Amino acid sequence: MTEAHLFKIYDGLHLPSSSLIVGWAQDTGRLGAQVIDCLNRGLGGKEFGEIEPEGFFPLSGVSIQDDVAQFPESKFYCCREKSLVLFKSDLPRFDWYKFLSLIVDIAERYCNVKEIYTVGGIFASSAHTTPREMFAIPNSPETKQVLQGYGLIRETEMEYETPLGQRPTLNSFLLWVAKRRGIAAAGIWTTVPFYLAALDDPRACRKTLEFFDRKFNLGMDFADIDKETKKQNDKMARLRFSLPEIDSYIQNVESNLGLTEQEVERLSAKVEEYLNKRD
Amino acid sequence: MGVRLHGEPDLEKPVLLAVWPGIGNIGLIAVDILRRALMAEEFGEIEPWDFFYPKKIAIRNGELKSLEFPSNKFYFKKTEKRDLIFFLGEEQPADIGRAYAEGKKAYEMAKLVLDVAQGFGCARVYTSGAAVARVHHTMRPRVWAVPNMESLIDEVRGYDNAVLMSGVEERAGQGHITGLNGLLLGVARKRGLEAICVMGEIPVYLQGLAIPYPKASKSVLEVLTATLGVKIAMEETEAIVERSEGEIEELYGRFPVEIREHLDRLKQLVHTRPTDSGPITEEDKRRILEEVDRFFRKGTEGDQV
Repeated sequence: MTEAHLFKIYDGLHLPSSSLIVGWAQDTGRLGAQVIDCLNRGLGGKEFGEIEPEGFFPLSGVSIQDDVAQFPESKFYCCREKSLVLFKSDLPRFDWYKFLSLIVDIAERYCNVKEIYTVGGIFASSAHTTPREMFAIPNSPETKQVLQGYGLIRETEMEYETPLGQRPTLNSFLLWVAKRRGIAAAGIWTTVPFYLAALDDPRACRKTLEFFDRKFNLGMDFADIDKETKKQNDKMARLRFSLPEIDSYIQNVESNLGLTEQEVERLSAKVEEYLNKRD
Repeated sequence: MGVRLHGEPDLEKPVLLAVWPGIGNIGLIAVDILRRALMAEEFGEIEPWDFFYPKKIAIRNGELKSLEFPSNKFYFKKTEKRDLIFFLGEEQPADIGRAYAEGKKAYEMAKLVLDVAQGFGCARVYTSGAAVARVHHTMRPRVWAVPNMESLIDEVRGYDNAVLMSGVEERAGQGHITGLNGLLLGVARKRGLEAICVMGEIPVYLQGLAIPYPKASKSVLEVLTATLGVKIAMEETEAIVERSEGEIEELYGRFPVEIREHLDRLKQLVHTRPTDSGPITEEDKRRILEEVDRFFRKGTEGDQV
């Protein structure tokens, strides 16, 4: 049972059936938030509700990022024409099961959600100049069959158990919560070059959006994201030109040659510093 | 939040032994050895998802098959003298990165554990943990025993190799038991249920090293088996202790000589004068902990090069 004070719904929705896409604000390549923002912009998504932060986030103060005070947000958006529901949130710190159950409760109760997709970026040792890869982890054989049609199932490669000392992602936790409720769900994972992990990766974003565009027949316009990709590529080219050491690291990555831990750190730090500089 | 019982064992006034991980995993190791030695049967568990973040995902043929959570299981054993319920928690319900439970979730879990035990007529609870003490690892660890009712003090005084908090140097009967091993005592008290926490001594310089300390578990086990009137073979425990002692000796040998000289003074400790601050002062203790911490951090940094 959900408790009414845990969430707010501003606008009663009456969708006969819909699909939910979930993205987290803290994600590799900022992918989750970027994909949800692009879908919202492209499809005219309207905010219709939110989960209250109390009990899920530490509320002992606010964090400050880029000079601005932040506050945890967990919001639902609706793209009625496409029967799509979007959810973007900061990663909760407490009571994860209750939080994830609330997402599913609200999606089912107010939007008749029949399937759920989570978006996630995954570290890759590939360079930014190489194409991003994408794969899906479904929570049922039926969903698997659907996604096989999109070439997203890596059956031969995907035997996996969380290594000791690590924990599963919240996306996987959500897939499991959906599975318990008998709701079809899949995690959509897109690779992000390790040195872009703390930054936007528009190319990974485009790759993910292409799948949703095809799956839901969205008719997305990719012009803006292509512009972002070009801008980032140009900046990376300038960085490589101005710092031959960084260029040699990237060349190694492009040639599948390994980097030392120190080189990885230096490359990531320099790329982050350079790309974060205001134009 | 729920409990799933796979069976309804017929138990008469069972004693509950409940443990969670903590410093040196002293209580967890002791009670787990006892559970295994008595071949206690699993009969239930607390549904974990409300309390814990999952610890493992399993993907088979590209499909999410299962999610594994830290286990929280109940076991029972009928012995000649008394019936026993064991509860072993693999983790304390805490925020990620914190070792000890606190707040609402901890209280809820404590209540659930006691609900199950009391449902079977439980009238006595034991929990177990670590007592960080100014002792040397070559010494036999004592067991600090904390009852939740005054009426239990005389009984506790009768335990071999055990001491009340008033008998611990500098403690004067005061102290704090962190996490669920302590909280359960309080919740039991609130319900009028007798409970005792038995804590094995761990040397102060080992507390932050995240290694098990089975030598103290053995002391706890001796107290528990004596008070419960059960006998178990101790060979396995002794073998574990011996192996651990070898590892700790090796570790100790890597401490800088000046730290070791300080710590060796702990060997002279005789537990006779509760007001005596012993061979290591509070200032010594602070300095040693800082040095041990610095020493191991230095070691870790070295490994990364």
